Amino acid sequence: MFAYTVRRVFVGIIMLIAMSMVTFVLFFASPIDPAQFACGKNCSLEQRAQVRKGLGYDKPVWEQWKNFAVGVAKGRDYPEDKSLRKSAPNLVAHCAAPCLGYSNVNIATVTSEFKTRIPVSFSLAIMAFILWIVGGVGLGVIAALTKGSIIDRGLVGISLIFFAFPTFFVGLFLLKFLAIKWGFFPVPNYISIADGGVWNWMVNLVLPGLTLALFYMAGYVRMSRAFVLESMSEDYLRTARAKGLPGRKILFKHTMRAALTPLVTMAGLDLAGLLGGAIITERVFNYNGLGKLAVDSITVYDLPTIVGLVLLLGSFVIVANIVVDILYAFIDPRVRVG
Amino acid sequence: MSLPESQLERLETTVPVDVGDPEAVLGKSPTQLAMGRFRRDKLSMAAFVVVAVYSVGAVLAPVMVKLNVIDPLKLNQNLLDPSLGSIPKAKWGGISLAHPLGIVPGTGTDLLSRLWYGVTFSLTIALAASVLAIVIGTVLGIIGGFTGGWTDSVIGRFVDLTLSFPSTLMLLALSATGVALAAKVLPGSGSDPLPNGFYEVLVLGLFGWPPICRLIRGQVLSIREREFIDAAKLLGASRRRLYFKEILPNLWAPVLVSFTLTMPAYISAEAALSYLGVGIHPPTPTLGNILVDSINYSVADFTYFFFPALLIAVIVVSFNLLGDGLRDALDPKADR
Amino acid sequence: MASYRKKMLAVAAAASMSVALAACGGGSDNGSKSPGGSSDSAKGGTLYYYIFAALEHTDPQRTYVGRDITNWSRTVYRSLVTFPISDDAKVSTTPVPDLATDTGQSSNGAKTWKFTVKDGVKWEDGKPITCEDFKYGASRVFATDIITGGPNYIITYLDIPEDPKTHLPIYTGPYQSSPEGKAAFDKAITCDGNTITYNFKKPWADFPLAVASLHMMDPYRADKDQGDKSNYQIFSNGPYKLEGTWDKQKGGTLVRNPNYDPSTDSTDIRKALPDKITFDIGKTAEQITDQMIADSGQDKFAVTERRVPAAYYSQITGDIAKRAVTVTSPYTDYVVPNFKRMTNLQVRQALAASTDDTGWVTAGGGEKAYEESHDIVNPAVKGYQSDLFPAGAGDPEKSKQLLQQAGVQMPYPITFTYPSTATADKQAAALKAGWEKGGFKVTLNGVANQDAYYTDIQKPDQKADVIWAGWGADWPSAITVTAPLFDSRPNLTKNSNGQDYGAYDSDEFNALVDQAQNATDLDQQTQFLQQADQVLAKDVAYIPVDNAIFYFLHGSGVKNYMNTAASNGFPDLGPVGVK
Repeated sequence: MFAYTVRRVFVGIIMLIAMSMVTFVLFFASPIDPAQFACGKNCSLEQRAQVRKGLGYDKPVWEQWKNFAVGVAKGRDYPEDKSLRKSAPNLVAHCAAPCLGYSNVNIATVTSEFKTRIPVSFSLAIMAFILWIVGGVGLGVIAALTKGSIIDRGLVGISLIFFAFPTFFVGLFLLKFLAIKWGFFPVPNYISIADGGVWNWMVNLVLPGLTLALFYMAGYVRMSRAFVLESMSEDYLRTARAKGLPGRKILFKHTMRAALTPLVTMAGLDLAGLLGGAIITERVFNYNGLGKLAVDSITVYDLPTIVGLVLLLGSFVIVANIVVDILYAFIDPRVRVG
Repeated sequence: MSLPESQLERLETTVPVDVGDPEAVLGKSPTQLAMGRFRRDKLSMAAFVVVAVYSVGAVLAPVMVKLNVIDPLKLNQNLLDPSLGSIPKAKWGGISLAHPLGIVPGTGTDLLSRLWYGVTFSLTIALAASVLAIVIGTVLGIIGGFTGGWTDSVIGRFVDLTLSFPSTLMLLALSATGVALAAKVLPGSGSDPLPNGFYEVLVLGLFGWPPICRLIRGQVLSIREREFIDAAKLLGASRRRLYFKEILPNLWAPVLVSFTLTMPAYISAEAALSYLGVGIHPPTPTLGNILVDSINYSVADFTYFFFPALLIAVIVVSFNLLGDGLRDALDPKADR
Repeated sequence: MASYRKKMLAVAAAASMSVALAACGGGSDNGSKSPGGSSDSAKGGTLYYYIFAALEHTDPQRTYVGRDITNWSRTVYRSLVTFPISDDAKVSTTPVPDLATDTGQSSNGAKTWKFTVKDGVKWEDGKPITCEDFKYGASRVFATDIITGGPNYIITYLDIPEDPKTHLPIYTGPYQSSPEGKAAFDKAITCDGNTITYNFKKPWADFPLAVASLHMMDPYRADKDQGDKSNYQIFSNGPYKLEGTWDKQKGGTLVRNPNYDPSTDSTDIRKALPDKITFDIGKTAEQITDQMIADSGQDKFAVTERRVPAAYYSQITGDIAKRAVTVTSPYTDYVVPNFKRMTNLQVRQALAASTDDTGWVTAGGGEKAYEESHDIVNPAVKGYQSDLFPAGAGDPEKSKQLLQQAGVQMPYPITFTYPSTATADKQAAALKAGWEKGGFKVTLNGVANQDAYYTDIQKPDQKADVIWAGWGADWPSAITVTAPLFDSRPNLTKNSNGQDYGAYDSDEFNALVDQAQNATDLDQQTQFLQQADQVLAKDVAYIPVDNAIFYFLHGSGVKNYMNTAASNGFPDLGPVGVK
């Protein structure tokens, strides 16, 4: 198991390096000049060239990548220009290792920007995760137990209806009516637990969490329904019933465990995807998480942040894959890793 | 994010298709049996009818535009009230004989025409992206699953790498470059809707194939152990023949189910991309770009708000129900 | 005043498509305006200001958005001279002394300007504001690689030699410069006690207007300067100061500055009534409008820079309408023919003739969103001429005739490039319909990335025949409108069209601009500029399509709400109170 984990982590790191290279090449090939955004209005070509140099975008792509890699290992100082750092030491910004770069749009190192964004996206992901797992699996099991009845059809139908509308539509609808018009919830505004306590943190997360959960829920309702039905027809359940075990015990001890194991993989990977920020939901509810950071940095072509985000989000997925595989082995003894 | 990957992820575990059941009951082929099961399922049949209606509509729309029966571009600004934000002067969103679903605020274009033609564009994008994802996924899945060994692990790592990229972020970040490149490649360049649509299809497809690849690979792993493959091998069948003549025909069930489930995901994705400003812009209508504008009119012009949302919801639900129905029908176990 | 470009960046997905100067005399019309009297208003309370997009800078030398310029002027950044609060556009665009004792004295044919800094004016840490602080502030503008994004007119005006290689001044700012550069700068701006003298190489007749309209000449404390790292720093000398730090994504709160002495200031400029002003960033126009309509909680005490989206107009009735104000903004939108492609004058005239301005305005939301425009110079700007373009729904017949006379193939194919938003797409469709009636065949090219838009349209080899752009005067003079947009000499280079997007190049026009720039008298300057504008109209160098209307809602608890020319049409924080 240990060797397996080490090997997976090693492969993961190789993958991240490959991702960083791909990302650098993709953006370097772009016809858009990031210096244009930094330079702004009234910017002559000469000024733009100056700015490009100041940001280090004038160097060839492999050298930019090399500087980036060195920064990750050893840290870097900004601005790039050494003589400027010497003549005006006030201007120097140090980016400690592991340095993913310095964003001259946010006037902060990429890592420090991530630090303020990660709690927001994580909170949102966790809230959504709880809502959709409880809702999705709960309703799915109920639907399975009442298979073919009106309840079954109704539950599956309702979950599908929410799934049918795009996320931004559901989000804007909840925001406009539930929060602003009818005032059932406060207008969502992220408040950390440290600032406002658990209650405020939670109340403000309900609507954005629900928006995401409604999207994911439909799938989970249908899947957990299908899995429960499938495992109910397995032979060992017939045996359990024949032995005379009580219904509840059969349901929880035998059916659920077998039925829900496959859900773990899916839930784990879905959660990992969400940890990296929900672009649309964060934008609709004005949550300053990683998803909104992504949109914002893309519009102004903030390259260091974009590259950093690709790597951060990629590493979430890679780590989640490893964790899920290991977890799977614990839950399902039939699976052997290695 | 209402982008497809998370949904596609589910396909892997939810398509338990029994391939090529040799035991034919009452002389019916497995396909006939499945069709019989499908026809008995009223909900799925209803979904099938809806999907069929949309598809026929999508094919007809360009003809209707050519024949001038519908005109999604004609302005009727004289029907609007410029003192009230240019919403229709008449009640109920300007519904009339000439405009059965009303008109669009600002331009006064006919909503029915725009939605109808929009279905064509949305379905075309979803179709093209699905086909792209399925072709890549299936080909790589067959090769990986059948060849195994070194090739299989390279494909496997490639799948992992693609899945690790945050696809929505990449899609947004590369849109300017991508659309510009597409505009260079395509004829009649420089404007809507070709380059934007092409870019959308390309990126959705390129990031959408890995789950299908995994699914197909799993199926191929079990097929390749079957006797008829051994037989074909003994007869000296070429690699190509093995892949496409022996294996591929046995995969149509999971491919079909994947297709009916990627379609609605990409229809939603098109709308989501419109919201994020990537995608086909008006005046070319798509369900997504109409919805993005109409969502603000829930109070001022309810009919304009209602119809686009209804139309997109119906097609997404129908495709999903159809996919579920097909899966149940193709899986004999579901009947128990 | 801000350029549209900066505003454009901020607009992104929102409905508004336009930017640049404030209300003309009768700007405020329907929608009732809150009374201007201040009798019912007292100090105290918190004012909320809802902003959609993150500010790019709060550094005075880098501030270039009309909204921010006025907000900072009224709260934290005082200038030598500034604009007073007034409903009368004439008064509110005439500079009055602020940190200086008077509005400046010019000599040497408007090439030398002198100001004296008031006694007793202080920074937020209690230290006095000195002449050296002003000089240091101006020096920062020259660091064009670090202090980016701001207005940098003084680079071209200040009497400092140019480096023949880079065409930039030999002085390169306070962070890193050659000794010669430093010496040249020390000669160009001199301090004598409290008196600061600016020496220019060409006349700058309306220099005080420029100082009052922008923050580029503001003082800056050398010991607080960290270059780019100071981008979101606010070191105040006004009635408020920043509490904690500015959060780029969320905004920040201004609280009272204990070291501000009202006796050095005037209530005609700043009443400073609220105890706190909170800038809240990130809500969309739709959400802000929904909240303003609901008018509950802190929204009662809120103002915004987001225009009411057209979809909401029908909800602004009754009591809500009392909290709505419409005012002509300083921003004008226009389209330019690409002179590299539409070389035939008659074709351009046909384009102008068939431009459906009425359709454009209707598609944008109607009379509360835009008004038809007759001149690229905004009505509130000196030099405006109301008879340059007829506006209206266009004359397709005349257009067809002109095209026939030109002897070109019909329909004449053109591509129209514009930044795509839901509203802009509709407006473009309206223009397309008009042009097609007039004998053109139009391909629309909506550019999704608003930020990349201006880079796109500066390319000399672009495929567009007609290009949309927006502009607002930097200060209320046509010299900051037509000259920067159509003078080919600073704009056209091998790799870029600069701001002359259509590559217009006319010696006749350039000569008139030179005459205007060398004029020492404002009226004379205006005359030359009007002649220059007529040349542009004759050549159809541009076609104006609208002046944006600002249609703003505010909370029921906001008193003395005003949108003045001094505040570029945005809510004026000078008089406003919440108690």
